Amino acid sequence: MPITIIVGAAVCVLLAAAPALLSPFLIQFLINFFMLAVLAESWNIIGGFTGYASFGNAGFFGVGAYTTGILLTVGKLPFALALLAGGAVAMAFAALIGTAVLRLKGQYFAIATLGVTETTREIVYNLNITGGGGGLSLPMVRSPLPFFYLMLAVLVAAVLINLWIARSRFGYGLRAIREDEDAAAAMGIPTARYKTLAFALSGGLAGLAGGVFGYWITFLDPGEVFKVSWTIRMIIMAVFGGAGTVLGPLLGSAVLVAIFEGLSTQLETLAELCNGLVVIAVVLFMPQGLIDAIAHRRLSPRKLLQNLRQYRI
Amino acid sequence: MMADAVLFEAKGVTKRFGGLTAVSDVSFALREGEILGLIGPNGSGKTTLVNVLTGATGYSAGNATLNGRALRGLPPHRICGLGIGRTFQVVKPFRSLTVLENVMVGGLFGRDDGGARDVAAARARAAETLALCGLGQHVDSLLAADSLNVPERKRLELARALAMRPRLLFLDEVMAGLNTGEIDEAVTLIKRIRDGGVTLVVIEHVMKAIRSLCDRVVVLYNGAKLTEGPPDQVLHHPDVISAYLGRRYKESKHA
Repeated sequence: MPITIIVGAAVCVLLAAAPALLSPFLIQFLINFFMLAVLAESWNIIGGFTGYASFGNAGFFGVGAYTTGILLTVGKLPFALALLAGGAVAMAFAALIGTAVLRLKGQYFAIATLGVTETTREIVYNLNITGGGGGLSLPMVRSPLPFFYLMLAVLVAAVLINLWIARSRFGYGLRAIREDEDAAAAMGIPTARYKTLAFALSGGLAGLAGGVFGYWITFLDPGEVFKVSWTIRMIIMAVFGGAGTVLGPLLGSAVLVAIFEGLSTQLETLAELCNGLVVIAVVLFMPQGLIDAIAHRRLSPRKLLQNLRQYRI
Repeated sequence: MMADAVLFEAKGVTKRFGGLTAVSDVSFALREGEILGLIGPNGSGKTTLVNVLTGATGYSAGNATLNGRALRGLPPHRICGLGIGRTFQVVKPFRSLTVLENVMVGGLFGRDDGGARDVAAARARAAETLALCGLGQHVDSLLAADSLNVPERKRLELARALAMRPRLLFLDEVMAGLNTGEIDEAVTLIKRIRDGGVTLVVIEHVMKAIRSLCDRVVVLYNGAKLTEGPPDQVLHHPDVISAYLGRRYKESKHA
């Protein structure tokens, strides 16, 4: 649809011009939003389109962050190369892990991927090259603008990859796998290869976000980078907006980041509470996500109650 | 097309689950353009045999060939790529996709030289296939396949398999749950599919359909092949009547 492209391009141009007009606080806010949106879109590939609820994407985020950080500091590589290598290593790591854990389904897959993240964190804690528990310091860049544009570029890439998946043969294959893997295989879809590729794309995007993140905050700590709440947040944002759609995770992260960050400036505990309440409300009343409710005009109280009845467990 | 060329052959196919032999040393051959009936009581191993032959589960012994190419050990998507399609007895629609999208997957993947690899071509073929299967009214529907009723789901299962352009198609009880009128329609449709150049193996409990469709029938009993032959001959075979149809059916026929 050309309209989508025109609107998308206009938004990108506006965002690219925005930093000149924005306060430093808003710039930091937007970098944070771009990053969480990348993570939500990354999770959407494996969790939304393919139907494999990964709890391991924080691991790929961390692998990307550490690979980039190490290549930048120890390897003395230029940042662009270090970042691309970070994405590539995270992607390869996801492909490797995926060949094993994608044989599992449902909660078993979720637990296995969670275990991979925890194990990776422990390994990073105990290596010398990562700085172990003491963390890894990265060189400081004074201006936030490079991170603004980098994170925006990664987000554009993430959205374009999701858009391609939504319209391509590959994407039909992934959605067929999500709906019924046996039927998908019987219809000629190479399920193992497709799932691994989806997982690798998901891991690669999370790794790129991690690489930019590390250089942005200038300090990597295993407990912070590999924490499970990264994964939880990307799942919540994607599901909130609409998993398995292109714009859902983007919308979900925009709304949730706005609510959360907006309220944290007032009161941290209030923000946590409201975040939780919003998530509960959406899961109960709009289980297909915000984007579906808006697209199909299912926002009337009657429709919301109907959803509650239809999807209750 | 050579009418008598052997397209597919199963030789000594065996499947054991632990101590249970679900399929035991089953052999049969299929000529191009033939419709073979596969019948037998519940639990006789019909679906397991199809699962083995289509790669969904492994062989314990034996092998099968399509145009001389051995199939044992190939994953399901490769077997499908070579031109063997199947439907599932318990239908497996892609629930949240639309009816059209369900069938598009068949064209986008399916047989390796089946064409329709891009989305637009697959959409066009899916629309044609839906019309052929009597689901033409759902072509433009945005509703998920989940909203179809049982006979429509059976037709969708068939339409998806057809969109894969198979050379050989296993139909696993596509008529179960259909009423008499719907069965007649299904028989007409299956004949039309055969006339389109597809060889078929039809698993069915509806004997009327078996009689009017099949060139030959293979009877399975406790996992092994009991007999094989033209439908009228096989269905009147005393062993088949007592093993499969039961004593009472035999008596009612002679009354």
